[in-house]
Amino acid sequence: MKNITRRVFIASSVLAGTGLALLPQGKKTHIKLELFKTLEAVQEVVFPKGLKAPSASEFGATAYLANVSSHSSFLESDLKFLKRGAEELMDTYNNFLTLSSKEQEKKLREFVNSSRLGENWVAFVLYFTIEGLLADPIYGGNKNESGWKWLGHHAGQPRPQKPFGELV
Amino acid sequence: MYDVCIVGTGAGASGVAYKLVEAGIDVVMIERGGFYQEKDFSKDEIAYCKREIVTPPFKESYHTIEDLEDGKWVKTSTRETESTYFNGNIVGGSSNFMSGYFHRMKPKDFRLLSEFGEIKGANVVDWVVDYKEFEPYFEEVERLVGVSGEVTPYKYHEPRSTKEFPYPRLDEHPISAKIDEACKKLNFVAYKTPRAILSQPKGKRHNCYYSNYCGSYGCSSGAKGSARASLLQPLLHKKNLTIITHAFVKQLAEKNGKVSEAVYVDTKTKKEHRIKAKLFIVACQAVESSRLLLNSKSKKFPNGLANNSNQVGKNLLFSAGGIGHGQFDTTNMNFKELMEEGTFVNRSLCDWYFYDDNGIKKGGIVDFLFEHANPISKAIKQRFDGSKLLWGKELQDRIYHKIAKTKQLNFEVFNDWLPTDNCFVSVDEKYKDAYRMPVANIRIGAHKHDLEVGRFLAKKAEKVLKTMGAKNITSSISSAPPPNLQAGGCRFGNDPKTSVLNKHCQAHEVSNLFVTDGSFMPTGGSVTYTWTIYANSFRVGDYIVANWDKYWG
Repeated sequence: MKNITRRVFIASSVLAGTGLALLPQGKKTHIKLELFKTLEAVQEVVFPKGLKAPSASEFGATAYLANVSSHSSFLESDLKFLKRGAEELMDTYNNFLTLSSKEQEKKLREFVNSSRLGENWVAFVLYFTIEGLLADPIYGGNKNESGWKWLGHHAGQPRPQKPFGELV
Repeated sequence: MYDVCIVGTGAGASGVAYKLVEAGIDVVMIERGGFYQEKDFSKDEIAYCKREIVTPPFKESYHTIEDLEDGKWVKTSTRETESTYFNGNIVGGSSNFMSGYFHRMKPKDFRLLSEFGEIKGANVVDWVVDYKEFEPYFEEVERLVGVSGEVTPYKYHEPRSTKEFPYPRLDEHPISAKIDEACKKLNFVAYKTPRAILSQPKGKRHNCYYSNYCGSYGCSSGAKGSARASLLQPLLHKKNLTIITHAFVKQLAEKNGKVSEAVYVDTKTKKEHRIKAKLFIVACQAVESSRLLLNSKSKKFPNGLANNSNQVGKNLLFSAGGIGHGQFDTTNMNFKELMEEGTFVNRSLCDWYFYDDNGIKKGGIVDFLFEHANPISKAIKQRFDGSKLLWGKELQDRIYHKIAKTKQLNFEVFNDWLPTDNCFVSVDEKYKDAYRMPVANIRIGAHKHDLEVGRFLAKKAEKVLKTMGAKNITSSISSAPPPNLQAGGCRFGNDPKTSVLNKHCQAHEVSNLFVTDGSFMPTGGSVTYTWTIYANSFRVGDYIVANWDKYWG
């Protein structure tokens, strides 16, 4: 499936192109708090406050990511990739966290343009940032339904009483 | 010992279960996943569209896929591609998550070879039953599962034993009238699409409440005609129906030429159990049904159960075709009308089910539908402008425009996936699941004829979108299969050398084994398979009930 929509195979081709698939699977990876700080900074760069759009920190992008990445449904290979990209970014720009947002944006562009991994990783972080923007607030993002409100989106009813499709 | 053990609980399993249980036969059904009911479902995009929640996790099971690359078949594990070929492993199977576009097969679909002749490189055969034999069961599905619609007369319409559908058509989005206008201009028939969704209550099932989240989601009102809501839940009070959940059937054991036991693993405790029955029915969706037979080897069946002619897994079918779409905004329609939520488009093009293009050809159908409401999926696709990664304001503007300002009308093309020697299920000892059973290997070779027909149909649909004034019209006809539309692999036929099952879907070689999901289909018709699978399951159920005392009782 997953999207049981008939043509998910084609529709997901953009994601399939990220190259994540080749990462080996193994023991559960843990992301250290420090790396979450990197992720938080990157998420704020890729999803800043807009005229009406909530910023990543406003809608809780990192809280969402921390939440879902600790669940068993989050693929081990994804977790490893998330970690690997953040480490690479910090290795390349070890003062990244102390830079101004303008400088961070500049460095992130450099990072994306310098390697395939960089581009794939930022696209990947964006993927989960957007999930956090528009997933049901039960997962820790979309704070006060700010993502939905921005887009005038009406949530489908019923909304989940429990996350990850757990039986009620 | 049970009378009948059914592996699977989806459409193909539940139709036959319904008949047997109603006839007082003691039935046990074995389901790999859990039992979700209406109260458990929600419109949670993360759970149902973005994570492997209702399919086995990759660490537990997966498939290997063989694609043709530079003239060589290259095998890739779905653990690597993270694209599953499992579809809704819960009670009721993938029918819980279908959109329920219900089109009947046409009489000529049952005799493609006789009507259209051979196609080089394709293993087209006639069915061993005809439309006339199926018609009462198509009608029964309309009543029991529940089909809402309004019969649209057009030149290829199949004969019906009743005048109208038992449930009136569902409420329609204002864009349906625009499609009607465009079709009128083009002299096309705007066919009103029947849906397996109740427009009125039926028993304990409520009518559709137009949630705006239908396909991919379980139904919270019971309106969708899932096998669970329509056939199994009404039988739960019966003492002669047992449903075992979280149970993966790894093998069928054979003794004296008959199936003696189903061997299953409790996926929670990892303990192995065995179930004895007089008769066994396999219906765990085409790929997994073939895999189960191939993995059930014995002295008498060294290549797998009922496979001494090496036909199990062969002639696997998906649905050929593709998708297309066009964008609509306020230049096309009043904004409020365009953004109306929940109501259905329910229009199809069926004028080219058969067509003359330098000789009569078998065509197919096109269904129109809005892009699913899923905001995450829509927004995620905006990250790239071509190959350029966007973020910040640029991305936000795109997301806003996509979700708040426009609506995308999609079309889906369905035409026959021709059976070929290059589309099959096999097993390979090198690739095993968590229960040490070989996983299904799926070789996916599509016939080029499928693409030609698909492109022809897509052009017609594009004309409709163009006439409606849609922007950015595109279509993509591809040989990539939709993993949820599976059939074939255990063909039915009269000759045991070229088919696995007889006309009753009973294995030629094993008299107490039936296969009742889409596996029996030698060709699939140019429609989604669920209606045909339900109808056939009822048909086989009637046969087993009528002959129970004689053969198995």
